[in-house]
Amino acid sequence: MHHPGAGDLAGRGVSALVEYADGDDASAFAQMLGGLIEANVTSRAEKLRDFNRLRARVGVYVTDIGEGVTLEFDHGHLVVRNGLGAGRDVTIRADSDTVMQLSNVRIGFAGMPNYLDANGRQVMGRMFKGQLKIEGIFGNLTTLNQVTRLFSVAE
Amino acid sequence: MPVAAFSPEWAQAFKDEINRSPAYRDAAKGWKWSVGLVVEAEPDRNFPQGAGVIMDLLEGEARDIRVGTPAEAQACDFVITGTYTRWKEVATKQLDATRGMLQGKLKLKGDLPTVVRFTKASQEMTECTTRVPVTWPDEG
Repeated sequence: MHHPGAGDLAGRGVSALVEYADGDDASAFAQMLGGLIEANVTSRAEKLRDFNRLRARVGVYVTDIGEGVTLEFDHGHLVVRNGLGAGRDVTIRADSDTVMQLSNVRIGFAGMPNYLDANGRQVMGRMFKGQLKIEGIFGNLTTLNQVTRLFSVAE
Repeated sequence: MPVAAFSPEWAQAFKDEINRSPAYRDAAKGWKWSVGLVVEAEPDRNFPQGAGVIMDLLEGEARDIRVGTPAEAQACDFVITGTYTRWKEVATKQLDATRGMLQGKLKLKGDLPTVVRFTKASQEMTECTTRVPVTWPDEG
């Protein structure tokens, strides 16, 4: 069996890259997003570059569980906060299935998210149906693309 | 014919369902890790001792699924832990496993990007559990 890298939602720690504002009370969703981003930036140089460049507040709200988090990116450091905090540049609202699908968007030419393959088209379809809402998309497209790259686990 | 939950017969039926599922086979291409499900005891639900489900999964095929101890399940590459009630909710479609993990009702240990990459496979596997007719220890 191949052994995957460590990652433990049940036993979350604090790293130099990712901090949980609510400490031990960080929600499971906060831990999952923080853990996902941390695993991505520590394993992929191009994601670390995005992470180091990014300064933005991003909200993610999962409609079917009624929980949200605020991701405060600040040039190589991320604070994950329970709930939707003030001053967000971009807010993504979607059900859990769509959030997972968003994390599977492939990154294509010039680092742009690929919305033309099967998964990308499904994501776009959900946006057109209102199942995926992105607030602050205008004026923050670069931020959104950077965040999508940080979320993406697609190879 | 229904089988007792988390019994060897249940494990065999679950394995057969997975291997009958073309959707799982397709979604789990590239998966090469063992998965352990830890079922925590709930004596007040007539489930007095915890159990482990140890799953040897490779490239869309369930090579082996057996019921063992929680410790055996915890030794797998990926481990999902929940109470008896939570697993019953998953198997009876009252709780979506992905949603359960996001809510902390099911706790995941393992490489997160890999799990997210195989979300569809995990959903198909959940579908397979729901197709196994089960008798539950807390029901009549």
